[in-house]
This record gives sequence, structure tokens and C-alpha cells, in this order.
Amino acid sequence: MNTIENTKEIISSYKRDDGKKLRIMEVCGTHTHEIFRLGIRKLLPESVELISGPGCPVCVTPVGFIDEACRLALEKGAVICTFGDLIRVPGTEMSLAGARSKGAVIKTVYSPLDAVSYAESHPDEQVVFLAVGFETTTPSACLAVEKAKKLGLENFSILGANKTMPNAYKALEGSADAFLYPGHVNAITGTAVCEELVKKGVSGVVTGFTAAELLTALAVTIQLSQTGEPFFRNCYPRVVKPEGNPAAIKLMEKVMTPCDSEWRGLGIIPMSGMILRDEYAGFDSRKKFSLPKITGKPNPACRCGDVLQGKCKPSDCKVFGKVCTPLHPVGACMVSNEGACSAYYQYGNL
Amino acid sequence: MTDKFVTLAHGAGGKQTSELIDRVFKEHFANPDLTADDAAVLSMEKGKIAFTTDGFIVSPYEFAGGNIGKLSICGTVNDLSCMGAKPLYLSCAFVIEEGFPMDKLEEIAAAMAKTAKEAGVEICAGDTKVAGKGQVDGVFITTTGIGRIMENANTSGKLAKAGDAVIVSGDIGRHGCTILLARDEFGIEADVTSDCAPLWANVKAMFDVTNDIHVIRDATRGGVGTVLYEIAGQSGVGITLDAEKIPVADEVKGVCGMLGLEPLYLACEGRLVIFAPKDKAGDIVSALRKCKNSENAAIIGEVTEDNAGRVVMKTEIGSQTLLPQPGGELLPRIC
Amino acid sequence: MCVGLSAKVVSVNEGTAVIDASGAKREVSADLIDDLEVGDYVMVHAGVAIAKITSDDTEETDEIMESIQ
Repeated sequence: MNTIENTKEIISSYKRDDGKKLRIMEVCGTHTHEIFRLGIRKLLPESVELISGPGCPVCVTPVGFIDEACRLALEKGAVICTFGDLIRVPGTEMSLAGARSKGAVIKTVYSPLDAVSYAESHPDEQVVFLAVGFETTTPSACLAVEKAKKLGLENFSILGANKTMPNAYKALEGSADAFLYPGHVNAITGTAVCEELVKKGVSGVVTGFTAAELLTALAVTIQLSQTGEPFFRNCYPRVVKPEGNPAAIKLMEKVMTPCDSEWRGLGIIPMSGMILRDEYAGFDSRKKFSLPKITGKPNPACRCGDVLQGKCKPSDCKVFGKVCTPLHPVGACMVSNEGACSAYYQYGNL
Repeated sequence: MTDKFVTLAHGAGGKQTSELIDRVFKEHFANPDLTADDAAVLSMEKGKIAFTTDGFIVSPYEFAGGNIGKLSICGTVNDLSCMGAKPLYLSCAFVIEEGFPMDKLEEIAAAMAKTAKEAGVEICAGDTKVAGKGQVDGVFITTTGIGRIMENANTSGKLAKAGDAVIVSGDIGRHGCTILLARDEFGIEADVTSDCAPLWANVKAMFDVTNDIHVIRDATRGGVGTVLYEIAGQSGVGITLDAEKIPVADEVKGVCGMLGLEPLYLACEGRLVIFAPKDKAGDIVSALRKCKNSENAAIIGEVTEDNAGRVVMKTEIGSQTLLPQPGGELLPRIC
Repeated sequence: MCVGLSAKVVSVNEGTAVIDASGAKREVSADLIDDLEVGDYVMVHAGVAIAKITSDDTEETDEIMESIQ
């Protein structure tokens, strides 16, 4: 029997008689996306519940961040370079797409390094890169800042909303019986965080992204959960080494320093963000453009925060599927392809 | 005429306009029905007529495998062909940006003439306007076409039935991928050329093996995924796709993997989606595979009574999921 | 969270590498990986090679499943 059939068998035959469910949280939005794309939910028995966690940078980026970006574009005339994911995220008044229709210059880039190249070839423009993302993405923003510094660019800066996972896991404690850890975050950070968590009784497995990897991670979770002991397994060893990527960690520590950070729906989580160190203050858009503190006003009916914590399903939210759809998103979880609400809406109740 | 660039004078209706028309358009489009009068005078055989129009804007206006001229002929020819109509006559209207290079305009006209010839259609009326710098992006072309519907053809988006097979005429997403690469916004290089092609011969080849074809639609912007949702809605049926049977070129897969895009939503400009009874599908695919531009036609799914209005995907692990309904801007994702 | 792309390194030059994923090529930063060599497979995210890949997913998952049974 091949691995896929073997894992499917383990997953679908899982039963328990205590009437409870094994609650597994996939932390990473790309996992959410792939789980839906592959139809993995359809294979799950009644006794397993998959919860989509807060691991989508778009979903956890607060409304105020979009407001700041729109202001930089429209009032300061900055050229905004961003990952495509952020374009449609609603701000208080408008999204970046909305700002673009009012004349803002918004460029989609594949890499923060491309934003630096753009700044280099357009010395008359002020270029702002929207630095969102977790430990996987933050090194690329740090590389961009280092490169801009090396080139002596005075027209490049980043608007930062970088986040880190360790303290978020604490905030999520009790939301699930086990985590599917985000493989590409662990590729950078290594597995020490997970080893710490298992000592505190928090179970989880580092999970890759292919069909075989996702199914294996679920099968392993189901098997090990039956021992009754907290467990940790690295199910993505071809990419994730215990020590992670030391060069990336060193770079992040050189360029950035931890700070408190606001997560949409979860509020401020202490020391869950990264901000440029003082030596790099010239590359911090907020300082460079003297941005005032902007507090966004999210739509009060939106329950993205509860969805992210596994406290409710997207379908429990009043605006879900009615006012809030992928074409007219109210909350960030509906914007990103990998947002829990978008995934529920798009892949439906099949 | 020695002008190297199109100027507002070329659109003013005077001597320079005639020069432009003579040098660029008459030169390439020459045929007995091309008119210098206010309208072309055409003869039609008896029967039903298909009539359609389409506007073309594409940035950049030239790309691997074609240019906006070729595109503007293919688009209208393919719309007519999908109705089982032999394309006969086309008109074309140009809106050209002041300062557009004359040699590029000639290349576009030459591509139109070549593609029209390949499709067996005559360009018999046209119009040229020049808009001020910045008012249009290079050149916009609108083509309008007339075709005669074959007596044995009866296709419509409303006619898909449970039990039909769903066929695509070739690997999907090439045009969208080519344009993405041609814009050079993401620094990606790949050997991908547009699928842009006129497909009347392919449609004819299908009708030569059977009249029992319910729906033919050409996938354009929005890709094959959009067409499938359109047909599921129009016919009130469900569609089940087999993910592993959908032909996608490796390079297109690579580009999509890099940018987090789904090939089913990438534009095509030379791909047909065909719905026909399952027992005819094999013959249709064999006929298509013998034709240029549809060598890798494939059956990708079937029509079901249940799941009306929805497109369901059989996934690589033997499960099922709903294909997300396409919509909004196609944005690369990183996260 | 992070779309990753596994790709083959086709050239390396001073902190940058050209990677190939099914024929799609792009220059990426190789600053974060030591001793990157042509022919290596890497995981790429946002234009940066973030990890070397040491086997394919079939081999990897086969081993894991064997180990828990």
C-alpha cells in the first residue's frame, strides 16, 4: 500500500467513543488552502475537526496597516510595492485597489528585493515595500533593507508588520489538541519552539505542503494522539532541520528586533512582531514620512478574530457569504485565497 | 508616405488618413470585397447567420506567439466558430495612440492578414481613429464578424446535458502566462508561447465526425475555469473535472507554482471547451488531435445532474473539492 | 502563510542563484544558504532560497509512516 492510501486509511478509520473530537489546528494559511484544494476535509471522520488558525499574514494584518499604506500612497505620493495578497484587503475607508483607482501607484512584486531594484532604477520616486509575513518572509525583507543600505538608496523604505509565531502559540493555547506547524516558518526557525511547547503539553507536528506531506502529518497526529502523551514530530525533515536556517536567523536579529504587535482579531500580542533596529531607522517608512499613529476601524460585524482563534466557524459570522464575499470582502479572512472564510466560501459545503 | 510614427493628422480624415489606409491596411487586407465605400456589399448564401463583435486591448501589444492583430482576428473567428459558423467576413476598427510606430502598425496589419487567410475569412471594412498621446495604450482593435452557421450545427451554452463529456482542445493557460511573462513584472523567464490561434478548421473537423456536439466555447480571459462555471450556470448542470487529466504545459505549471496562480483561471486565446455525449467524445478528441493547434486535446471531465451550477474537482488524492469560482483581479500570491 | 516553491539550482553567482521550476526560471537570493551548488534543490519563498531540500516527499513520508507503525 502506498503512503497516500495508507495515511487515508489511518485518517478515515479514526474513531473515539468519548463523543469528543480531536481538534487539529492548521496554523498556516497555505495549509488551509491546500487542504481545501485537495479535498482533505472530505476524508476526515466525524471525530476529527480541522480548525484554520491565524497563519495568514494578510488575515492578521490590522486594518490600520492598510490605512497607513493608502496614506503613504495618496498623501505622500509614495510608490507602494506589495505582494499581490494585500491588494484587496479592506482598510477603514478603502483597500489598496481602491487607492489605485484614485491614482495611487501600487505595484505587485514577487520579492522585496524586486522593490529595491525598482527603487534603484527610479531614483526620483519614493518606494515603500509593505513588509508583512512571518519568519519565512521576514528574512527577505531584511535582505531588501540590507541591499538598499549597501546601495546607499535613500528612496527605499519598508512599512513593517512582520510577525513571529512563538507568542502567538501561547495566545492560541487551548484552541486545539494539536497544531500542524507551518513548515516554512520552521524551515527558518528550526524546531526548538516546538520542542519547548511539547514540554508544556502542547502537541504538534511540523507539516509540509504536498498531498503526501499533509496526509502524513494528519495520520501521524491521529496516531500519536492516541498514546495520550503530548507529542512532537517533524514530518517535513527534507526541508526543516532542527536548527532551521542559522543565516536567516542571524540576519533577522541584525536588522530587526522584537516588538509588541497587533494581530487583526486577536489584539496586541506581546513581543510577537519584528521592527527595524535603530541603525536602520532610515528605512522605516513610519519614521521617514513621520506617519501619525493610525488606528483602523474594522467592521464591527466581522468575526475574523473569532474565526482565527477557532472560536467560531466562518459560517457562524452574520456577514459571511451575504455582505462579505470574496469579491466584496469585509474582513481579511475573506480576502486572501488562504483566508479561512475565503476557503470556506470558495470550496463550499461540498 | 515616409512617416515613422502615427500622428493626429493620420486620423483627421484628410490626405494622410488615406495614405495610412492605402499603405498599411489596403496593402495587407486587399481582397475583392474590401470596400472604399461607406459599407461593404456582401452576398450571403441562405441559412442562419452568426454575428459577433469583440474589442481587444492587450499590454504589451506584441508577445511570444502573436500580437494584438493576430489576437483580434482569432477572437472573433473563434466566437463565430463556436456557434458552428464558418467565418466569412470581418470588419476592424482601430484606435491608435498618437506616436505609435508605423512599422509596428504594419506588423500588426500583416499578422491580421495572415491570420484571416489561415481562417479563410475576408476583412472587408475598417475604420481608423487616432487618439492623443496617453488616451489609449498603443493600439486598440475591435473586430466584428459574420459567419454562416452549418445546417447540421446547433450549439449553445444552454445545451450541456448530464452524461456529456467535457473536452478541452489543448493545454490550458498559455496565453495568460505568456502575457504575464511579457510584462516582465516578476523577473520570471520561461519558454511559453501564446496559444492564440484561429480554430475554424478544428471546429469543422469535429463536425465532420459528428453533429452531436452540444456546446463549444472558446476560453478567453478568465480561462477554462470561467467557461466551465458559465456553462454549468447556463445549462443548470454540474461539472466534475478530473484534476490529473487537465493538460497544462510544464512551464506554465512552473510559473503558476512560483506565483501561486491556478492555470484554470489563466487566459487562453486558442482553446475550445466542448461538451458532447460521452460516446462521441473519443472520436471528437481523435479528430482534434489530427488538427494543428489541438494536438493535445483531452477529455477532462463530465457533466452531472447533481451539483447544478457548480464545478467539482476530483483531486489527486481521490477526494473531491469545489473549484473556487473565478472572480476579481488575478493576483500573484506569496503568502 | 508561505507559498514555497521547490526548484533546482541551475547557476550560482555571488549571493544569487538562478533556479528552475519545471522550466520557469528566476534569479533568487542565495545569501541565506551556505555552499549552494548547481544541481541542488532549494525551497524558494519571496525570491529567496530559504532551505536546501534533501529528498523528495515520497521518500520522506514513506520513512515517517514506517517509523510510526
